[in-house]
Amino acid sequence: MRFTRRSVKDSVWRRLRLPLGVGGALLAGMLTACGGDDKDVAADGPDFARQGDFPSTYQPDEAAPVLIRGATLLTGTGEKLLKADLLLKDGKIAAIGDELKAPRKGLVIEGAGKWVTPGIIDVHSHLGDYPAPAIESSQDGNEMTSPNTAQVWAEHSVWTQDPQFALALAGGVTTLQILPGSANLFGGRGVTLKNVPGRSVQDMKFPGAPYGLKMACGENPKRVYGGKGSLPSTRMGNVAGYRQAWIEAAAYKEKWENYYINGGDAPDRDLQMETLAGVLNGDILVHNHCYRGEEMAIMMDIAREFDFQISTFHHAVEAYKVADLLAENNVCAAMWADWWGFKHEAFDMTEANIAIVDQAKACAMIHSDSAVGIQHLNEETAKAMVAGQRAGFEIQPRHAVTWMTRNPARALGIDDVTGTLEKGKMADVVVWSSNPFSVYAKAEQVFIDGVLMYDRNDPARQPHSDFELGILDAEGERLPEGGER
Amino acid sequence: MEISNLLRAGMKVSLMCLFGFAVSAHSQSILIKDARIVTLADQGTLESGDLLVRDGKVVQIAEDLGDATAELIIDGRGKVVTPGLIAPSSALGLTEIGAAASTNDGAIAEQSIGAAFNPVVAFNPRSTLIPFNRAGGLTRAVVVPASEDSIFAGQGFAIKLTGDFDSVINADLVQKVYFGEYGAQLAGGSRAMAFAQLESALEQAKEYSENRDEIRRGQWRELDFAVDDLEALQPVLREEQPLMISADRASDILQVLTLANTFPIRPIIIGGAEGWMVAEQLAAARVPVVVDVLGNTPDAFEKLGARMDNAALLHRAGVTVAISGPGYAGSHNSYLSRQAAGNAVAYGLPFEEGIRAVTANVADIFGIEGGVLAPDGVAELVLWSGDPLEVTSFAELVLIDGKPQSLVNRSTRLRDRYLHPKAGTGHGYKN
Repeated sequence: MRFTRRSVKDSVWRRLRLPLGVGGALLAGMLTACGGDDKDVAADGPDFARQGDFPSTYQPDEAAPVLIRGATLLTGTGEKLLKADLLLKDGKIAAIGDELKAPRKGLVIEGAGKWVTPGIIDVHSHLGDYPAPAIESSQDGNEMTSPNTAQVWAEHSVWTQDPQFALALAGGVTTLQILPGSANLFGGRGVTLKNVPGRSVQDMKFPGAPYGLKMACGENPKRVYGGKGSLPSTRMGNVAGYRQAWIEAAAYKEKWENYYINGGDAPDRDLQMETLAGVLNGDILVHNHCYRGEEMAIMMDIAREFDFQISTFHHAVEAYKVADLLAENNVCAAMWADWWGFKHEAFDMTEANIAIVDQAKACAMIHSDSAVGIQHLNEETAKAMVAGQRAGFEIQPRHAVTWMTRNPARALGIDDVTGTLEKGKMADVVVWSSNPFSVYAKAEQVFIDGVLMYDRNDPARQPHSDFELGILDAEGERLPEGGER
Repeated sequence: MEISNLLRAGMKVSLMCLFGFAVSAHSQSILIKDARIVTLADQGTLESGDLLVRDGKVVQIAEDLGDATAELIIDGRGKVVTPGLIAPSSALGLTEIGAAASTNDGAIAEQSIGAAFNPVVAFNPRSTLIPFNRAGGLTRAVVVPASEDSIFAGQGFAIKLTGDFDSVINADLVQKVYFGEYGAQLAGGSRAMAFAQLESALEQAKEYSENRDEIRRGQWRELDFAVDDLEALQPVLREEQPLMISADRASDILQVLTLANTFPIRPIIIGGAEGWMVAEQLAAARVPVVVDVLGNTPDAFEKLGARMDNAALLHRAGVTVAISGPGYAGSHNSYLSRQAAGNAVAYGLPFEEGIRAVTANVADIFGIEGGVLAPDGVAELVLWSGDPLEVTSFAELVLIDGKPQSLVNRSTRLRDRYLHPKAGTGHGYKN
């Protein structure tokens, strides 16, 4: 049985696995979580991802059905529906249509004049790892002690009481990936969270979402380690560092697979190698901080050399220069609308970046990397859309919305369960006061798995972290009257 | 060259086809017809009006200028005219790449100079940041130094964003000082020390002005500050130069106000995250605030009260508010002050006040020209494709001194080179 499964697990199958999204990784995770005694292996091979070790304990509250009636829907599948109804039930999107029947017991939102989108997904955040207030003792986002720290997991630094999660929620963000910083060639594992209050980080973990591996190109690793007199101090040093690590990871993976097939003494576990081997077997997705076009091209060559797939280049300021290569290699790019110039590799910015990548049929998305930017991803997407229109492309809101919903879901390997308004998907939904591609639009209600997690008009449905209690006013809240409207 | 530049910047149809006039940087008279005109001056906002520019000045603004004519006539229907944006605090012309030390002239470390530091001679009008921000509608900017060593950063100046070698317009405009957490760090670890340094510098500057000759001859007690620094503070004590002081915490802001009671100074608060908590005191003291609207995260203990409606609350209390570009975006995106202002309006600041906060109020606070549109006033304006504070609008025409400015920049050049990326060497020959 095991042998049979092993035999189909060749590289072709593995390549097929990633584009299918969460499927493979979900399966591995669930099997491990439910598994018996044999903790170190999944049903189809060694368990490098170890989804079951810190399992998601997120449980959406029970919620009555919700009918949003007569709103403008941007579905995230490329459609704009006018005066449409959207029914949320049992945590899922139950129906989209005209004149849906209001649930007998439940919430009805009159959507006239309102716009509805899938919840915003930010593929690049450090909330919790670089929380507010930022003081020395809270800077837990980057283990800057070795160029390869693939063994660290960003979730183990997340301060769940970071007050910035709630601000992002008020900006319509329902899902976010928390990544380690970019000082290292291999920064460690990222984790995908639902933007819900949690006492432990597991209470926030997106069920079944695959892990990410943060890698970094360019200036940061060479500056940090070159400054310490160790490899890498150059971009060529960076590349040598990646390749050396993948050689070791391939050997580690082979050792475990041999054990899996032939039995014998179990090899020693190595946390760093586990993460890299999890990439090589397709269970962990590579999220690669990489600004320059030529470096992205090299990274795609390295992926070919070691037979793995890169999910997404992050901060891809020069993605527009290699948009055709990204499309060919099925690699996404996460970009800003107009941020530039803070370092050399961010100098060749064009505001049309996202549009050019998109029009080359590569998977393009907005991302924040900022506790401020994450609150305004709709505005950032709007700017990128207009830059595309000014470049001569026909890009309308019904398509641009995919840059902040469907495409980041795809990059995170969760697009078969969220990221669009489609029947059966998680009811992660934002009701906007108006066209979300306006500076004046506000997220009025934010639903996560059908639960109203944020209501701009109801202070009782606006989460506040522990940190905010007794701050500024011992008997009040950080911001009086429920804060800003 | 100018024509093709402007064409690429997207002004095409309405200018060329409808009117058949060539756009040229040398056009001396320009008539914008049937636009919404936000003057921020006596004429208020004209829902539909004409505006005539000649020889660098606004000649006339009226609902209908009849058969007035000009070398360039622009159809403004559906579009909005505002004064050009003015950045209240930037390092434009002093920085090229943030993390490349050799391209930065805005800050000094480990030098004995403080208030006397004046980076105006380091200003580079050919910086790539200038055409980029100009294309975003920014026509003027206040440029201020920063500091890594002393609470006194030095003197700031103002520029026009023409990119010309003579584009510095006010050489000694403002003095910059750090208070709050960063000031405390620079002063050795306590706000109290930062405050004491500021207080004693002002005291000794006064002492210096009253005993200049003796001090210069060395016939005076030893002072804590260099003569050059004390000299640099004289315009501050004469209220000729405002003193821009960084402060976010409410109690820090109040300390600045007490300083203004003791010394004849004109403070400008920069930051002011908790300004809303002491808005009435700020209004009573007539101290303006430069706000980073988007900086609503409590990302420092001095900003626990940060909130999106700070600008609205300050304005409601009667405080003069200027809005800067988002702090996280730095000088490179100074023009995004208009997105910040749009957010301030979304959170309660009246629309016209939002525009004022990125134009007229900045000019007022620093005492520079521009920021309003009025007959005989400087013709520095932007024609926007729509609502000037909306993220989907953009600048279609930017006038500085009555001259249409190029809206081409590296962002548009790179865009045009790579609109359809493909293999081969072709891209290397596209201009």
